[in-house]
Amino acid sequence: MSRIKFTRKWLAFPYAVFMILFVIIPLVLILTYAFTDAEGNFTFNNLLTFFGNGSSINTILVSFIIGVANTAICLLIGYPVAYFLAHRDLKMPAVMMLLFIMPMWINFVLRTAASRDLLFWIGINGGEYPYLATMIGMVYNYLPFVILPLYTTMTKLDYSQIEAASDLGARPRQTFTKVILPMTAPGIVSAATMVFMPTMSSFVISDVMGERKLSLIGNSIQLYFDQGLWHMGSIVAVVMLLLIAVGMFATKNVQKEDDVRGTML
Amino acid sequence: MKKRLLALLLLSVLVLGCFSACGTEEERVLRVYNWQDYIDEGDDETASVLEDWAADYYARTGIKVRVQYDTFETNETMLNTLKTGKSQYDLVCPSDYVIQKMISATENGTDENLALEKFDYSKLENYNNYVSPYIKQVFEENGFDGYAVGYMWGTVGIIYNPEYVDEEDTKSWEIMWNPKYKNRITLKDSVRDAYIPAMSKVYREKVLALDGLNLSEEEYRKQLGDLMNSTASEDIAAAGDALKSMKDNIYGLEVDSGKTDIVAGKIYINQAWSGDAAYAIYEAEETAGVQLNFSVPEDGGSVWFDGWVMPKGADTELAHDFVNYLCAPEIAVRNMDYIGYTSIVAGDEIFDYVLDCYADEEGEYTVDLTYYFDGTLSEDYYSEDGKILVQTGEIGRMFSAQYPEESVAKRGFIMRDFGAKNEEVLTMWAGFKSNNIAPEILVAIFAVIILGAAAVLLWFTKPKRDSARRRKEWLAKQK
Repeated sequence: MSRIKFTRKWLAFPYAVFMILFVIIPLVLILTYAFTDAEGNFTFNNLLTFFGNGSSINTILVSFIIGVANTAICLLIGYPVAYFLAHRDLKMPAVMMLLFIMPMWINFVLRTAASRDLLFWIGINGGEYPYLATMIGMVYNYLPFVILPLYTTMTKLDYSQIEAASDLGARPRQTFTKVILPMTAPGIVSAATMVFMPTMSSFVISDVMGERKLSLIGNSIQLYFDQGLWHMGSIVAVVMLLLIAVGMFATKNVQKEDDVRGTML
Repeated sequence: MKKRLLALLLLSVLVLGCFSACGTEEERVLRVYNWQDYIDEGDDETASVLEDWAADYYARTGIKVRVQYDTFETNETMLNTLKTGKSQYDLVCPSDYVIQKMISATENGTDENLALEKFDYSKLENYNNYVSPYIKQVFEENGFDGYAVGYMWGTVGIIYNPEYVDEEDTKSWEIMWNPKYKNRITLKDSVRDAYIPAMSKVYREKVLALDGLNLSEEEYRKQLGDLMNSTASEDIAAAGDALKSMKDNIYGLEVDSGKTDIVAGKIYINQAWSGDAAYAIYEAEETAGVQLNFSVPEDGGSVWFDGWVMPKGADTELAHDFVNYLCAPEIAVRNMDYIGYTSIVAGDEIFDYVLDCYADEEGEYTVDLTYYFDGTLSEDYYSEDGKILVQTGEIGRMFSAQYPEESVAKRGFIMRDFGAKNEEVLTMWAGFKSNNIAPEILVAIFAVIILGAAAVLLWFTKPKRDSARRRKEWLAKQK
């Protein structure tokens, strides 16, 4: 009689159950809903309605643009901050880091509602400037997600290589583009993925900051599901899934190459 | 190991056994599905209406009952729950158009999960005696009779700050497009509520012309309802255009923030349901010392209801008893006082409550609520059935939000279910909610981003190819 042996792989069992229940089954459900009609017949009609509709394309383009803009602004602000935080001469790095991460500890809804009032107070009200207010809210909310991975990569920076670069005659700009940037590329990519995708699908920030005057993919999914149009909502979710998959695929290649470059240099 | 497992099994059997044994005493359950914060839930000292009903039922019949009380936040959430067919309720409290949807599902047999049981009004003594004649009439006109018993009702109008807003302007939905109040107006983020000002704009002339036709009240309401509820494709498109032209003039859309924003002075005009208006007016005065008013525009004033229905398979006996209990004026007063909305019930206790809140013997303005209270007050209760003397200042404020004057109430039409046109209306709504940016500009920005990304990728990959090439050349030279 063979007894079931408790091996290490059994430790993964809880997660496997979790994954089947909350990842695989919902994914299959979304796909089924996306390609069926109310009677349960297979159809491409949802997809055709989606792309035949000016407002859906508008929503996707605006989401994409806001996603890219938010990623770019967060990187521009977060990159120097992370470099500064990770610098070995910095006193009390843990405290400084805490100051940048602390906003994440405050409840997200509260934080967004507070920034809405703050912006109104300084004159940037979401009613008149829905896009500007939304961008500010996005950057504010996602900045910590950029700083964290960049900080992790930068603490591993080999400073002797930076010194070597300047010793061998590289100008500061060259040192940055040829040494520091390639070495931190994996951090940049993971920071970008952590910001870009959630930005496109977020709906609370755009609702609160933009006074519901603009609509991102997340908002349109919410609209359809709220109204019980599950098939239309699912097709939007599938389109977003595809967009994210394309994004992942593109960044995956970059990351690989840069990893290689990073270790080679 | 095995022993421990066995012990655990035994223990669980024991515990389960106890649970089932403890529950053997006969107890009936009434399953109620209601809006959040929509019934007197009591507090530390007082019992909730639910507990009181259970006690009352036990006293009358000797049968123990328990209420299983679940709540929802939107009609659509509730519908989705029912559509799954997984949960059976005895009583649900949807809004007017959902009741309509459910009645049509029952009569056409389109969705058995939404099908309803019929009420037997002879078992609803309190309903027959105390529900306002006005409400009964509107129920009959709209075909809700038989399937639904009302609960709360009100109007859809606008809350405004009289310090900044001209009262004359609030008599028309045109105010939503008025540039005088640019960026000081909020619209409800709900297609059904936004449809009212939109259709009013589309059909303003026809709506106003109805006044000159000398129609009976009933006929007026029907014709107004037909105009405002039109879902002909060209009307939906016209409503969409009307809303789009409103978008730049309003501050934004809201579901809940409007109340606080108008109290804080961020906005001056807020499309609102009368119950929320009463609350906002009270809050503004108590907390900020700001005066707010409520007005139902004359070119399309809508009336709404929430009512009890019994889904198929409900325990109709308990449901009838509970609904009848809710229709007792003394219970209706408790619910009104707790949630701030207006009950469909009239009667002595309700009239007393209204007098308590608003009447003033030295007032100089008489509000005639006979249309609402007629026939429900006990004889000789008040010499003048339903007439209330109030200060002029009360008009257009909380009182008007809770009990509109006859001139407003008799013009009230009901927003119907969009029915088969639902998806078309929602597509229009999604179009309105999407972004006001020209497609050419969007595509241009998109192209710039893609080109930029391509440039960055090239820049990253080029040096590598260079060095590989140089390395190859160098190796070739070495040979």
